[in-house]
Amino acid sequence: MPELGVVTRALLGIARRGADERALAEAICRTCVEGLDVDGASISMLTGSDARETLCATDDTAQLLEELQFTVNEGPCVEAATTGNPIFVPDVQDTTDAARWPAFAAAVVEQTDGRALFALPLQWGAINLGVLDMYRRRPAALSDAQRRDAIGAADIATLMMLGLRSDPDGEDWLDAAVASRAEVHQATGMVLVQLGASAPEALARMRAYAFAHDRLLIDVARDVVARRLSFAEDVE
Amino acid sequence: MSRSPTDRERSVNQAFVRLADTMVDDYDAIDLLDRLVGFCVDLLATDAAGIVLGDARRELRVVAASSEAAELMELLQLQSDEGPCLDCFQSVAPVSVADLGDAADRWPRFVAAVAERSQFRAVHALPLRLRGQAIGALNLFDRQPGPFPERDMALGQALADVATIGILQERAIRRAEVVSEQLQTALTSRVTIEQAKGVLSQHFGEDVEAAFDRLRRYARRRNEKLADVAARVVRRQLDPDVFTPRDPSGRGPTARH
Repeated sequence: MPELGVVTRALLGIARRGADERALAEAICRTCVEGLDVDGASISMLTGSDARETLCATDDTAQLLEELQFTVNEGPCVEAATTGNPIFVPDVQDTTDAARWPAFAAAVVEQTDGRALFALPLQWGAINLGVLDMYRRRPAALSDAQRRDAIGAADIATLMMLGLRSDPDGEDWLDAAVASRAEVHQATGMVLVQLGASAPEALARMRAYAFAHDRLLIDVARDVVARRLSFAEDVE
Repeated sequence: MSRSPTDRERSVNQAFVRLADTMVDDYDAIDLLDRLVGFCVDLLATDAAGIVLGDARRELRVVAASSEAAELMELLQLQSDEGPCLDCFQSVAPVSVADLGDAADRWPRFVAAVAERSQFRAVHALPLRLRGQAIGALNLFDRQPGPFPERDMALGQALADVATIGILQERAIRRAEVVSEQLQTALTSRVTIEQAKGVLSQHFGEDVEAAFDRLRRYARRRNEKLADVAARVVRRQLDPDVFTPRDPSGRGPTARH
């Protein structure tokens, strides 16, 4: 197996203390620009049913690329958010790619100097939290190692964002090993029914409960799955 | 469980025909893996089977399991950070343990965890091979200690190879660069399915295996992708009550549709 990518490794080292979503997005984008040989990066988060908010864009082109996609409502970022799959476009002027998003491709060529576009969904199971976008001014695909690194970075970024949302005052990131456990996902599904809430809200309630009772998230999740604990009865 | 060679041959043929049948255009890799672990249990006369894949951070994650007990066995290895499955993944070679009771020196943490939390005694791991590397492993678990039957070795590896092909899809095997995306997609689908199992389990007041059974049957009956159906369940775009009719015959490759 190949080595852990430089960006993925760098992200694992970002400190949680005092970070809010915007500061975290900036740190992630900066790390990607440094480590993946791209010219710019941005992160947009899904805020409402369809609304997106750009938390960070490292330069004007990155900012404009986000605005164009949301205006025409198509493009790699929109596709990444909808499908949950990473989308890599080595050259937006290439006709096959341009045909997928005609309005967006035309606008990119006309208004920006971006040529290669890479969109990584911040995906947590069925839930899309947002998208990490990157661009290059020259038409060039990411190398195999860079693609793997970008996917690993988006995976870490997802857990970081999810961690911030579900526990804004916490000191540590959501533990990747715990967050990838089947019981945590199953319990999330159960609690979202119990509360009539979204999956991230369900996770937030479990984490708050774990913190208040000085327990581990995985143990709380196990209790939910075993039906020893329910959030339907307004537990404190 | 012993079978006459003819019966066995027929079962093997049927299994591969069904698997090939599944792998048509735009098929569902997770559904294929789910069927495949079922076939492993039937054909290899093993008690449980599971598949793990390496993610972009090089960590192994469970992507399919024939039962929650098989899933637990995978997890115990991942948590212990040692065991036949990890050795198989790293060495890209089969690792067979006839009796875990004799393996405490090799994997002390894993063997202790199994003794405490699981009934399984024998573990056989086969690599999911791609161009000299392993992208994951197929694991077979038995409650009775015993070696992996020689005659099952080739069949087991063939099933592991089908899993590799199924995950990466033909297109991806020819184009090396899409491997990491296909792996990520399979892993994301698995998370979605676990979340959906939770939703249905809560809605119907039943365990997660029964909930998975509902999900699986609905997707197969309607010829939809398991992960797509699961995503709609989690996003509350699909009313759980559409899953109400529950087939009493249970799961398994013989109960298709």
